[in-house]
Amino acid sequence: MNNNWIEANTFHHSQFKELQRLVAAKERKNLSISLCLPTLNEEKTIAKEIVIMKSELMTRYPLLDEIVVVDSGSTDHTRDIAASYDVRVVEADNILPQLAKYKGKGENLWKALFVTVGDIIVYIDADIKNIHHRFAYGLLGPLLLTDHIRFTKAFYDRPIAEDTNKYRPSGGGRVTELVVRPLFSMFMPDLTQIMQPLSGEYAGYRSIFENIPFHIGYGVETGMLIDIHEKWGLDVMAQVDLDRRVHRNQDTKALGRMSFVIIKTFLDRMERLRRMELKQELFESMIQYALAAGKLQAEGSIPERYERPPIIELAEYREKFV
Amino acid sequence: MDRFIDLLPAFEAEIRNIREIIISNIVLIGQVPAPTFHEQRRAQRLVERLADFQVDECTIDDFGNPIAIIRGTSPSRPPIFVVAHLDTFSQDQEESYNFQVTDKIISGPGVSDNSAAVGVLASLPEIFRRLKLCFESDIVLVAPTLCLGRGNLKSIRRLLRNWATPIRGAICLESVELGRLNYYSDGMIRGEVECSSIAAVDPWERHRKPNAILVINEVINTILSLRLPQKPRCQIVIGKISGGFDHGNIAYEAKIGFEIRSDSDEMVKDLYGQIRDIVEEFDKRFDVELKLQRISNLNATRLRYNHPLIKCGSRILDRLGVETFSEPSETALSIFLHRQIPAITLGLTHGDNFHQDGAMIEIEPLCKGISQIPALIMAMDHGVCDEQ
Repeated sequence: MNNNWIEANTFHHSQFKELQRLVAAKERKNLSISLCLPTLNEEKTIAKEIVIMKSELMTRYPLLDEIVVVDSGSTDHTRDIAASYDVRVVEADNILPQLAKYKGKGENLWKALFVTVGDIIVYIDADIKNIHHRFAYGLLGPLLLTDHIRFTKAFYDRPIAEDTNKYRPSGGGRVTELVVRPLFSMFMPDLTQIMQPLSGEYAGYRSIFENIPFHIGYGVETGMLIDIHEKWGLDVMAQVDLDRRVHRNQDTKALGRMSFVIIKTFLDRMERLRRMELKQELFESMIQYALAAGKLQAEGSIPERYERPPIIELAEYREKFV
Repeated sequence: MDRFIDLLPAFEAEIRNIREIIISNIVLIGQVPAPTFHEQRRAQRLVERLADFQVDECTIDDFGNPIAIIRGTSPSRPPIFVVAHLDTFSQDQEESYNFQVTDKIISGPGVSDNSAAVGVLASLPEIFRRLKLCFESDIVLVAPTLCLGRGNLKSIRRLLRNWATPIRGAICLESVELGRLNYYSDGMIRGEVECSSIAAVDPWERHRKPNAILVINEVINTILSLRLPQKPRCQIVIGKISGGFDHGNIAYEAKIGFEIRSDSDEMVKDLYGQIRDIVEEFDKRFDVELKLQRISNLNATRLRYNHPLIKCGSRILDRLGVETFSEPSETALSIFLHRQIPAITLGLTHGDNFHQDGAMIEIEPLCKGISQIPALIMAMDHGVCDEQ
């Protein structure tokens, strides 16, 4: 295990708060940057995210070149509200419409690669209540100010010692601590150094994202980390402490379905990388139980399992970008 | 004056171009809770934002007031103050409020009193820059703390008492309501009457004690029976009440908050004296302890109705197509006026549910509301609002 990584590649957003420095680095490197906000019924939070990102990182400091909202078919006013702040709003189904249509955050992120133009793409979830522009500039800092970091991932609540004897908890969520970290510990201990592998905020060079597959749903973050680690190694990655993030909480059942997809994505990757051999086909359905009229009833659900190939393999994409 | 008024449509358009910056300031500052006496975190955030907008001098003074000075071109000119009180009625001290923004409104605790105005105050340096405005006078941006309730406008009183130079005039900003043009304040005393009945140790004994709620009720009825003259105009408002702890138990604590208002300071003092007599009498009559406490007070003061500053403010609103209304204002305005500094209070937009859950302001009228400020400051800076 590479023990130096956590020290060398862990940052705090405050290290990058001099925005003029980031803008200068961006201009020196002749880069363009896109911010993608994937949405599904986010009418309560989307405008605040757009307004703050646009005012601070476009109007005041030209760090972002575009903000693109990729929507999964919201049934509330998400799209109208977003459009009222003069950003591009695209329905995922209308991007590459000739392809089979899927619903999921990963699908939005993958399709965003086709509609955005930036050399660097920042992905930020649209349900953050305490949104601040540090969520974007914190992730961009290491990408712009170093030459070797190509992918950055957010984590929240500082896990590092506050003083010599006092530590704060890692802040990893339940699925991280109960599912992902044990799996990484068993198979890929290097990746345990990533404090919050499931955090929904990350940024990277297009050249990274276009060369990896995207799970269309909850497996997108886990698959992405494994693939980047396998292709380019740990040193192209960095993690940035963005302090605190306030967002919607999911109930345990929803987290169970999420864990199902993540475990499945992980096992698929392990098989593909020939690190493990399964002797049976995995079942597709997640079975949970509910008490109804005094009886336990099984509720089966088949979480999304599809994975988009690296978008660079798509002729339409190569025609546009390569 | 006409040349400033003619600029209003251009001002409004340019302000609309940077509405995201203004909304960001409202959200980023307003989400930091600032109940009276606990404004430090918001003060710090405001000063950071102002410094980030490269204002010449930013500081938090000894009284906790965030102050920023945009230096003018003529050091000999007295400064013009723009003021928006920093504290909010919301007593919730959670780490952060969650403001919501849509295409039409911003909602969240305290946004309409007075977080939107504070956000606008923080945006003024950028607004002036975008409008390419510079002034002869220094523009002093202040968000005074300790304004509401027991705060009794303490910080702005101290600031003005200690300000070394003459002040040319002041504009006080309130989030709502667009069209307000306040230029006078009533004499006012806010007080509280607290009734406590000594808690009996024996539960049966407790039932024989006077009920504090009923005693307070008697106090209310007696206050309401006071004869109030029509002239000078005066009013007593019983605005707050609390007491008791359980449905089935005699209340041994109850409290009311009241406000006496009048355009005559003498009348306010006289009515307060009468309430004191009522409280003293009830204190003797019942087996309870009744206490009267003065929370805050203001002197009746006003700008002459035909003062050029009022005329300018009124013409600006007229040109914006907004109906003007005036009412007495118990804000920093009265402190400026009491010190013979010409001042008016302006509202910036429309809103609702001011001190309740669901407090909100409208975004669209905000651009129009803000455009009043640069136009009025230009007029003040050119001496149009000075008394001859």
